[in-house]
Amino acid sequence: MDRATTSAASTPHRSALVKRRSKSKSHRQSYRSCSGGAASRIGLTPALTARRLNTSRKAPKSLNITERVNAEHLALLVKTKWKLCYATPLYQFRHTMLKSYARQLSAFIVAEKQRGLAVEVEGAQNHFRASFSVLQGLAEADDPETILIQIHSKPLFSSSEEPQRCVWSGWLSCINGNLDYLHSLPQGFTCLPLFGSSGTEVLTTLVKSWCQKTFDCSFGPLEINYTSLQWFMALLTNCHTESNIQHLKMIWSIPVEPPLQVAFTVSPQDAWELWSSVRTATRDLADPGGCIDFEEVERFTQGLKSHFYRHFRLDLSAGSLKEVSTALGGASINGRVKISNSRYMITTLALLTECALLKMPI
Amino acid sequence: MSLLKPFSKLPNINTASILLVESEEHLQQSLADVLVEESSITVNVRLAKSLPLPKENDKDRPRIDLVVFIINLSSEQSFISAEASLKYLDPGYFLGKVCFMVTSARSAAVPTERMDAVRKLAASLHSPLLFAEHQTSEGVAAAAERLLGILKVSAGVVPMTTALYLSNLTRCTLPTDIEQPSFD
Amino acid sequence: MNDPGKCLLKRVIRRIPANMLKTTLSHWGRVSDAQLQSVDFTTSKWALTEKLLNICEENELTVKHVTELEMIHVIDYPNLGMWYAFQLFDPDDAAPSVDMTQFKEQFKFHLSKLMRNVSVKIKKHTDEAIWIRVAWGDGFSRPNHMKPTYVVHHLQSSYVFVTRLTSKLKPLLSQALVLSTRYQGIKDANLSGRNLAALRNLLMRQYQQVFSTKFSTPLAEKSENISNPQIEREQAESATKRHQMACEAFGDGVLPQLQSAVYKLETKFRDHNNKTMTDREEPFKCIVKFTSTNLLESLRHCASSGIASTPVTPLLSSVPVKGRNYFVITDNVPGSSSQTNRPQK
Repeated sequence: MDRATTSAASTPHRSALVKRRSKSKSHRQSYRSCSGGAASRIGLTPALTARRLNTSRKAPKSLNITERVNAEHLALLVKTKWKLCYATPLYQFRHTMLKSYARQLSAFIVAEKQRGLAVEVEGAQNHFRASFSVLQGLAEADDPETILIQIHSKPLFSSSEEPQRCVWSGWLSCINGNLDYLHSLPQGFTCLPLFGSSGTEVLTTLVKSWCQKTFDCSFGPLEINYTSLQWFMALLTNCHTESNIQHLKMIWSIPVEPPLQVAFTVSPQDAWELWSSVRTATRDLADPGGCIDFEEVERFTQGLKSHFYRHFRLDLSAGSLKEVSTALGGASINGRVKISNSRYMITTLALLTECALLKMPI
Repeated sequence: MSLLKPFSKLPNINTASILLVESEEHLQQSLADVLVEESSITVNVRLAKSLPLPKENDKDRPRIDLVVFIINLSSEQSFISAEASLKYLDPGYFLGKVCFMVTSARSAAVPTERMDAVRKLAASLHSPLLFAEHQTSEGVAAAAERLLGILKVSAGVVPMTTALYLSNLTRCTLPTDIEQPSFD
Repeated sequence: MNDPGKCLLKRVIRRIPANMLKTTLSHWGRVSDAQLQSVDFTTSKWALTEKLLNICEENELTVKHVTELEMIHVIDYPNLGMWYAFQLFDPDDAAPSVDMTQFKEQFKFHLSKLMRNVSVKIKKHTDEAIWIRVAWGDGFSRPNHMKPTYVVHHLQSSYVFVTRLTSKLKPLLSQALVLSTRYQGIKDANLSGRNLAALRNLLMRQYQQVFSTKFSTPLAEKSENISNPQIEREQAESATKRHQMACEAFGDGVLPQLQSAVYKLETKFRDHNNKTMTDREEPFKCIVKFTSTNLLESLRHCASSGIASTPVTPLLSSVPVKGRNYFVITDNVPGSSSQTNRPQK
């Protein structure tokens, strides 16, 4: 896939070369522009990860991925609201050893329960079984395949005919991850930065601690900040011609005493018309592969805010955007996301992967 | 346009005056409480929501030695209001008598673009950029202490140092990768 | 006592907070003192319910008696759901002279004519409010006491507050009210909330109102630091002005507790930065909902802190001024349309 171009200001031609000083074999050299040779003498370690999201990205194509992905898996991904975390690269993770991982995780859960650390509300009698599977078909280019983890349970003393319920599901994914970053990882590391979970907090912590122990990675909360929420809003509104968004709802929170919440819902056709009016004239709207610049996204949000201001004389910029939702999906600032339409799964996950990669510590 | 001028009045002995400009009007109050407790010099604190300042107070207002813009990164309006207030300052202030203080910089909900915009603003005005933690009293005390350091120099009570000299050392600089949106 | 009575009694006992149970029961008057003494009010609700069921069996109480108990409880704790306000309009000449007994008779008469099998209980509360409890049946079944409607009406005002009324039964209740109060009609006041007292206070303006004066006395500084002469607020005057305008719009002190306000906007989009949208003929349809634990106090704080520009826009100040929290805003009528059909949320 063609990498989206960077910000409008063209980056100056790099004049100096700085070698990465590290004991391990450096896999790539980073080009940095330095003023004088001072910077290189100080030995700045170039950042492997980006500091901000791309300022322009491709408009989401409606991808019918139902042929690529197992229908059951897709159904699971689509109907659930996921809580997102970021995960640092996993060491010695093999896609071929999934069955073994499943056994290890089941044993780990049992062991933790016996230690008394995990307190289940439903009673300690449940019998848990974990399963790992590959969610084939989501990955693009060099991405490692997405992994789906599920934990099934049934009460210990139930009959064997009773089916096991899936009480927890989670996935590790990397969609359209930055190729430079992926290639720069040392041998043995798999990059699956996006972790989504749905189920009790206890089980989520157990799965995370098992992963941390087994793959020497660490997890952290992934907040979806204002910029990413704006991207969400714009990208989903852009899809209106193909799939009806039915409404565009924003929830803002104003910091007054007591806190005021403003839910601003726009009718889909009007949202779409506002969006298309802010796209600059040079863009060919009919071309689905067109790029969207962040300036257009900002103008869209600004238009909505000014319409609000015209009526209520209340500046929404003084508050913070907490949640964005449409019929195609929604995201909130605390890292909860729902993708209701499988056609836009890839685009949404790509945006979220970028957010997760921004959180990588190095 | 009524500009706030830095040298249009005479200073007072052993006195320093600081102007805290904050759109939300939260942190400035707690900072003021800590600042006035300073014993070695008399600190006058003036609080404002934005500039320009009302003309009626011109006569009674002492010479302002340091103007601090407090920006809360969790609200976009905070930054916009601070930026709009800048044009009401006489350019003489930007020789070390202006300082930016930012709160909520560590909050993950804050987009990096906003932080970068504040950085760029501070760097272009050759002013220092301070980070403050406003939710605990220790954070407020630490922020007040840093402000006092710069204030004393700006007021001229520290021998051998002037505001311009200090600002050369403390001014905000942009990291070279600030324009770098992604890896290359 | 039959099953519905037992069910209702169980539910009422469950709802009444433990510390109020004894007083409410003695207020009820259907249980003798001796019986009350015999009950240990420190046991669990479940045990209490069993004991009380036995006592009621002893006293041969029916479901009608239990409804009295429920009514006493609801009058003390009316916040059991959403209350909707209605307003009677066009009074007849006889309207102001309708008194309590007349109203009671007429209401029961008209309602039972409109629908058979209704059970009506009317009670006058100390603050001139008439409380009506209606249990609806239909042509074939007995009244369902588990889903009663409660109506509150202040005789000398034109407001009626209703909770738990389905849209099917609304016309019947409206008709009965109109006929018994001698008004021409009743309409939706477009005001709803969880707190009955708040709705009443808002409509009857029973909160601290502030009126604009030309020569306003300088308000005392609200900040704690007025004593420290070294701290000076430059824009104190504009801050007090903002605060004054905020209080004029919304009121001073503790304000009635409204939970939300909904605005349905159907106005044209006008933005000088965006020519395409401004030229558009169709309205820009959107719905804005403000939510808070105390909406009026939040809005007042928005205005006094400058987040909302002062003077407060009529859209926001209409909430307390007009006493409503549902508005439909269109371009032609600068204000709100009051005859709209309002969805029961």
